[in-house]
Amino acid sequence: MNRRHIGLIASVVTALFLALGPFIGPFLQLDISILSEVLLLAIAAMSVNLLLGYTGLNAFGNAAFFGLGAYGAGLGVVYFHLGFIVAILVGTLAGLLGALVIGPFLLRRRGIYFALLAIAFGQVFYFIAYRFTDITGGEDGKNFERPYLGIAAAHIKLSETSFYYVSLLVFLLALVVFWYIVRSPFGKTLAAIRQNELRVRYLGLNTDRFIYVALLVSAGLAGLSGAMYGMLIGFIFPLMLDWHQSGDFVLMTILGGAGTVWGPLIGGFIFVVGKDVISTITPLWQIFLGALFVACVLGFPKGILGSAFAALKKRGLLQAEPPSGEMKTPELAESKNV
Amino acid sequence: MSEDIILEARGINKHFGGVVAVNDMTVQVKRGSIHAVIGPNGAGKTTFFNTLSGFYFPDAGDVYFQGEKITRLINWQRIQRGMSRTFQTPSIFPELSVHDNLLIGVQSAAKQAFRLHAPSAAAAREIAERIDELLGFVNLSNVRDRLVSELSHGSQRLCEIAMSLATRPAMVLLDEPMAGLAEAETERIMRVIRDLHGRLGLTVLFVEHNMRVVLSLAQAITVMDRGGKLAEGDPTAIASNQAVRDAYLGKEVLDHV
Repeated sequence: MNRRHIGLIASVVTALFLALGPFIGPFLQLDISILSEVLLLAIAAMSVNLLLGYTGLNAFGNAAFFGLGAYGAGLGVVYFHLGFIVAILVGTLAGLLGALVIGPFLLRRRGIYFALLAIAFGQVFYFIAYRFTDITGGEDGKNFERPYLGIAAAHIKLSETSFYYVSLLVFLLALVVFWYIVRSPFGKTLAAIRQNELRVRYLGLNTDRFIYVALLVSAGLAGLSGAMYGMLIGFIFPLMLDWHQSGDFVLMTILGGAGTVWGPLIGGFIFVVGKDVISTITPLWQIFLGALFVACVLGFPKGILGSAFAALKKRGLLQAEPPSGEMKTPELAESKNV
Repeated sequence: MSEDIILEARGINKHFGGVVAVNDMTVQVKRGSIHAVIGPNGAGKTTFFNTLSGFYFPDAGDVYFQGEKITRLINWQRIQRGMSRTFQTPSIFPELSVHDNLLIGVQSAAKQAFRLHAPSAAAAREIAERIDELLGFVNLSNVRDRLVSELSHGSQRLCEIAMSLATRPAMVLLDEPMAGLAEAETERIMRVIRDLHGRLGLTVLFVEHNMRVVLSLAQAITVMDRGGKLAEGDPTAIASNQAVRDAYLGKEVLDHV
């Protein structure tokens, strides 16, 4: 049995497991909306993973696209009474548009400069949402009722359980798209850029162009995630755009295993469920998640899934190494020239 | 510029802060030749080399490649015009297999690198054949599935040379191809350089310290000293040039030739 078979079987089993979420959840004392949150934030972590884990870019500002998605969809519902599907599409497009605009400023930067500029742009959107109170509701954000799922004439009010299945569908779609992209020639070139961008350029490729497209795909995923998340909680607020939110996505990515397809889901699960469980015990839940993050970076920098792959490979159970998610150091990332 | 000059550099200057690394360097490389740049440490060979390959831009002077002025072209644009290079420390993709290292460049040459979907069956076959051909050329077929970082220094360099061929260049620039290699590995690389010239008809420009290698491989030699050109000519002329002997070459090296 080769790696491809193992991967396929594991993926199908995981997908089935997720499909049984609403039945398994109660046994684990988990609310169904928490499970939806896991799936949706995992999409945002996936968007970070494409840049951080595959391309080697410090995507520390992806909450900008997440928040744009949430506001795009949310404000669309508030002001234009958009249906569910249209609102999600508008949100995804808003995230994409954000990257289209700030992308050209970001894509020549590498390492720490990319990280800082990404954070800075995110904060610009945060302050816009914070300041333009008349439209965005400012600090208080906007409440809205989750719109009906408008497919043809059928107007279905989504219950929490059906919303979970919509989230699962969106998540699996995003995962398939992600999987397809990272295995394509384009995705392989992204992984090559992470390892040695200078060589990619000396193979005649304009790496900036690849990074721009990677950024657009990433922003689209983040926007989709934000739009769905806004629908889940029926609420949009400026902190969705904040750099703390970006940090959460990075944490999920690294925890689960940057550079692995399923890592973000595992990271998202640990983060969301951990936060839910620990915050009922102590308000200092962030300390515990922070400690977990430190332990992860020190103990197994490839994340849970990345370390598991490495261990399996060591025992000869996997033939080829999956793209490892070790972060590129800024020094290496800066080796790019002209 | 005459037809048989593939690369020409005119009056290249490059300084870093107050240090003048290259000063008024002029070189013409004949199409289809093996041309070496030699000189003592700190002579500015690699800096000069880097202005040719677009690693950085010269402060003054111009570079012409196949009749086109490329002074201000970015590195990947020069590759697209048929230039290619290697580095002193092999510049490879350490986490990929030898096969996948070549795949990135072959995809690029086949205009497939930007695709978000798998290549068509025909394109995939073409890519696979090209990779096999390159592996065969540098004799690395037996390690095609090994991680490139697990290979010896010499094999890594061969892999890098194969990668630089993936884009089907007209000219290859090799930056100290023998640096840090054992004798047997040096022989392997020398054979490959001869094949680049003889079998593929490519122009080769290389920077090298090893005099035995330079004198036995090169058809034309440019000697650099303190950022400028000290001498130029065929190996016999260079070996007997008094200024070159004084500046750089030990007598005993040349007496062996």
